[in-house]
Formats: sequence, C-alpha cells, structure tokens
Amino acid sequence: MAWSTAVPAVSAAFLASLVEVVEAFTIVLAVATLRGWRPAVLGTAAGLAVLAGIVLILGPVLDRVPITTLQLAIGILLLLFGMGWLRKASLRAAGVIPLHDEDAIFAAEAAELSEHAHRQRQNLQWVAGITTLKAVLLEGLEVVFIVIAVGAGRGLLVPASLGALAACAVVLVAGAIVHRPLSRVPENTLKFGVGVMLSSFGVFWTGEGLGIAWPGEDLALLLFAALFLGAGMIGSTLARRLAVEFA
Amino acid sequence: MTMLKELAAELISMFAAEKWLTIAVLAIVAAAGSVVDVAGLNPLVGGAVLLFGCLILLVESVCRSARKGAS
Repeated sequence: MAWSTAVPAVSAAFLASLVEVVEAFTIVLAVATLRGWRPAVLGTAAGLAVLAGIVLILGPVLDRVPITTLQLAIGILLLLFGMGWLRKASLRAAGVIPLHDEDAIFAAEAAELSEHAHRQRQNLQWVAGITTLKAVLLEGLEVVFIVIAVGAGRGLLVPASLGALAACAVVLVAGAIVHRPLSRVPENTLKFGVGVMLSSFGVFWTGEGLGIAWPGEDLALLLFAALFLGAGMIGSTLARRLAVEFA
Repeated sequence: MTMLKELAAELISMFAAEKWLTIAVLAIVAAAGSVVDVAGLNPLVGGAVLLFGCLILLVESVCRSARKGAS
C-alpha cells in the first residue's frame, strides 16, 4: 500500500465522514432532546443496519467489475461529487450562499417535531424514530459512497472505512462531552478541503480509467490537490467580487 | 414511499446538484477520452484536457452561480 495514496484516501474518508456525521448527529440529538433517547437510538440503529446492508450488497458486486471500468465510473462520480462540494464551499466562503448552521438545523428539526406533536398526539415515538432513521440513512449514504469511492480503486476499502469509523467515534465522543449541536466545527473549511481531495481523486481515477499514466503516479494527487485548492480559492475571490458587482 | 423518494432525490443531488456543472464535467471526460481513444494522441494530452478542463470549469461554475445570485 503506497502511503501517498493511503493517507489522502483515509484523510478524505475521515474528514468527509466528520461533516456528514455532525449533520446526522444534530438531528439525532434534536430528536433525543425532544422525544427521548429510545426512538433516537432505535432510528439510528435501523439507519445503520440499512447502510450496512447496502455495503454488504455493493461490496461483492464491486469485486467483479474490471478495475479500469471501476476506476472510470468511480472517478466520474467523484468528480461530480467533489466539484459539487468545492463549488458550494467556494460560494459559502465568498458569502454568496449562507454557511451551514447546525444550531439553526437543530432548532428547525425541534420545531418540526413540536409542531407534529401538536397536530398528532399518537405515533410520536414512531415519527421521532423515522426522523433519525432518515437522517442517518441520508447522511450515511454519502459516507458510504465516499468510502467506496476513495477506497475501491486501489484496495483501500478497509483503511477508508476505518477513517470513517474514526470520524463517527470523534463526533460521538465530542457530542457526549458537550451534549449540544456541534456548531463550532469549521464545516465549510472541512468541506472545502474534502472537495479538493475528492476532485483530485476524481481526476486521478478517471484518468487511470481512460488509460492515462500520470507522471509521478500517486504523487500526482498532491499536484492535483494544490491545483484544485488554488482554483477553489480563485473562484471564491472572483465570486465575492461578482456578488458585490451584481448586488 | 416518501422516504424512498427522498432517498432517490438525495442520491441524484449527490452527483447532479447543478445540471450545468454535471453536463460540463461529463463533456470534459468525453473529450479527454476522445483525445486518448479516438484521436490517438499521447494519453497525457487527454490527461491535461481532463485536469485543466475541470479546473477551468470549477472557476466558471462558481462565478456563474455568483452572477446568478447562487443556488
């Protein structure tokens, strides 16, 4: 295993998972605060079980796909996903779109559950459980995709999974300590960094899938990351100026 | 059923949040592939098309959204 590939893959899985787990944790915490830990934990467990099922089904299927086809398909998906994140992070950094606010999400989720409580007294535990299941499943899907995408191309599924699990552990421990939404996580900086990494992997895998032998092999990833970081920052600076100009 | 719809929407939005960016990325990949497979040029030329195409596209996409007031 080349460290020049493994370290970016594990870091990308860890950081991306950190962002997604914080988002899921905010909703789980909102449900637990309002409706108790039982539906929150049950919904989370059900969501994790569905995700595990998806991984168990996808894993063996991926083994049967030829490596160049897999690299091309995953590379294109990573490019679409990574550039989407980078685009949004650049726009947030420029102040064109608002920053993600975990406190606001917590308040909105709590308000929705309270409103539901007024309208419908029955089945509240069920609604609370479904809310957490949905949050864990939706955010978890992105984690699963990132782990598969950065890990499958070079047999790094286990290290990438460990990176994602470490992110879950960090969020759970931090959440248990502060016992409130983790609003101090520099989410946009993380998303910017993850967008850079995923886009770099995207170009790398897509190129390999097309039969391009990158000079320096895995080390080319570092150059790609530097270029995407520069492009994201240039985009953000230009966007700030344009937003003022067109305001 | 609603949850399945939301799941499908989430999956689609993961890769195609902005239609223009998605189409342009796919076009650049197709162009890079054509350079390598159809034109038969040095694969690194295809690599340059892919890399610099994506970089330019990113800056253009961010500026485009800023001009539109973003989405």
